[in-house]
Amino acid sequence: MKMTKFFAWLAIAIGLIYFFVPLLGTFEFSLRMRRGEYSFDAYGSVFSDVQFQQTFGFSILMALFTIAFGMLLVVPTAYWVRLRLPQMRPVVEFVTLMPLVIPAIVIVFGYLRLYNSSSYIPFTGSTFGTNVLLVMSYITLSLPYMYRSVDTAMRTIDVRTLTEAAEILGAKWPTILFRCIFPNVMSGVLSGAFITFAIVMGEFTMAALLNRPAFGPYLQLVGANKAYEPSALAVIAFAMTWLSMGLIQLVSRLSKMAPTRRA
Amino acid sequence: MSFLVLDSLKKSFGQTQVVKDFNMSIDKGEFISFLGPSGCGKTTILRMIAGFETPSDGTITINGKNQSGLKTSQRNIGMVFQAYALFPNMNVFDNVAFGLKVAGQPKAEIEARVKEMLKLIHLEHLADRYPYQMSGGQQQRVALARALAPKPQVLLLDEPLSALDAKIRVSLREEIRQIQRQLGITTVFVTHDQEEALSISDRIVVMNAGRADQIGTPSDIYNRPSTRFVASFVGTLNIIDAAVADPAANTIRIGENVITLREPIGALKSGEKVSVALRPEAGSLAESAKGDTALTGTVVSSHFLGSVVRTKFGVGGNKISFDMFNAPDKVLPQPGETVTLRFAASDLLLIKD
Repeated sequence: MKMTKFFAWLAIAIGLIYFFVPLLGTFEFSLRMRRGEYSFDAYGSVFSDVQFQQTFGFSILMALFTIAFGMLLVVPTAYWVRLRLPQMRPVVEFVTLMPLVIPAIVIVFGYLRLYNSSSYIPFTGSTFGTNVLLVMSYITLSLPYMYRSVDTAMRTIDVRTLTEAAEILGAKWPTILFRCIFPNVMSGVLSGAFITFAIVMGEFTMAALLNRPAFGPYLQLVGANKAYEPSALAVIAFAMTWLSMGLIQLVSRLSKMAPTRRA
Repeated sequence: MSFLVLDSLKKSFGQTQVVKDFNMSIDKGEFISFLGPSGCGKTTILRMIAGFETPSDGTITINGKNQSGLKTSQRNIGMVFQAYALFPNMNVFDNVAFGLKVAGQPKAEIEARVKEMLKLIHLEHLADRYPYQMSGGQQQRVALARALAPKPQVLLLDEPLSALDAKIRVSLREEIRQIQRQLGITTVFVTHDQEEALSISDRIVVMNAGRADQIGTPSDIYNRPSTRFVASFVGTLNIIDAAVADPAANTIRIGENVITLREPIGALKSGEKVSVALRPEAGSLAESAKGDTALTGTVVSSHFLGSVVRTKFGVGGNKISFDMFNAPDKVLPQPGETVTLRFAASDLLLIKD
């Protein structure tokens, strides 16, 4: 029994070393910009870089649009599949899993072929159109996570009965969806939103090949040309991802604190 | 004139016909219970009245207005669900106010009506609570208040007590009945619990395989079941196989016992098989088989059930149960003992299959 416990701790220790040593190394290296002493100069350099501010701002904007439009697509779809088309569930699950199977580069080449400036729907013919295409590609990439988190949240409430209860009280579809269902799957919506945020902030392929000034290509650019700043950016990117993860945990913990929400 | 009329109602799901030619007229203020086993079509009828299901054929008329083509939200019907169905994101006040807000009523009126409803269910002090902070019984009372708040023309109750424990179930059903009487609202209650149906209904519809086997007052349903199904589903009943002894004299034979029926046997011939029913509480033990309404047989078993003693005895291939009230000095009939059960001729009912 004691040996089992020892090996369990050993496995945890190996895991922690495997994950944290490179991260600590990166962090330590990011502090060495000033010769002979530790400093946050690399971080100062990154934050004062206009390109950083622009790309970071652009990616945040794209992430917000992705979350908003993604949820407008996913929540009604998950709701409708649960309520009226349960037989379509395997099909929808399959479709939402596709982005995990098809590499991003294949998807973006497909987009460029379908929506180039000489096609019937020339999204890439203008900056605005390309940005719209980028948001749509981000929605596609985050679909597996968004759909699952919303669907899991819907599983915790009795969607059909709540819908019928609202309907018989005179409510119409927008009221039912936005006042009775949406607030009760908010934990799932927020979890999906944070994970989408993390994905969009670090995404490279789509933004680079669509030639948009996003944070992912900027990370690559800095990594190829500077010494200490890439490490600082890596630490910043990790911090952002962890913050998102922490917020997901917080949201799911807060929703668990409200005992049985099953109606 | 009837307030709620279900005329030739039919409902099929694919090849399966769940409701078969259902007809019923319900008066204003009446409390009707649909009683039957799972899958008998009772909930489907309720859902058709609510507008959640569209009838395959037939019409539903409420207060003279045909409901076909009306959406659920346009029917002005209140409904209480088995699973409470309170909106988890809203507190008690907002739940009860929901229907009124959707109808666009002024704020002051909403507040007054919600307070009135909460007073009706004695939960004024819980207006700020969320559903997860309340017991099942409290949640179901809030669900009732929410259904009644918009002043619906019909109240539908879909097994509202099934998820509650026995004690709460009894107190809440009495409360529901008292509120229904107070408001005079036409109510349709679906249940598979016969005690519930018998205790609070004006009339009961006993459903079997998509049809109404019998519609009548609780007393009629219990004391004069018209079919073998109703007889076996409502209460405990002995179904006894017998043979016609003398059609002219209206007598039947059960084992060696010849009994004169109160109901006419009809066109049956001598020796033909019939089924008769007898409630366990209808008879009492007698010293000897005097008169023609007595059965003599051999005791098979005797069980002490607290307030009553249930004894089974065999007569002509039938096993018949009868109940006696318990008394401290009561001696239980022993297996093998010969006993005679006497009863009123009117308690023996001829059963149609």
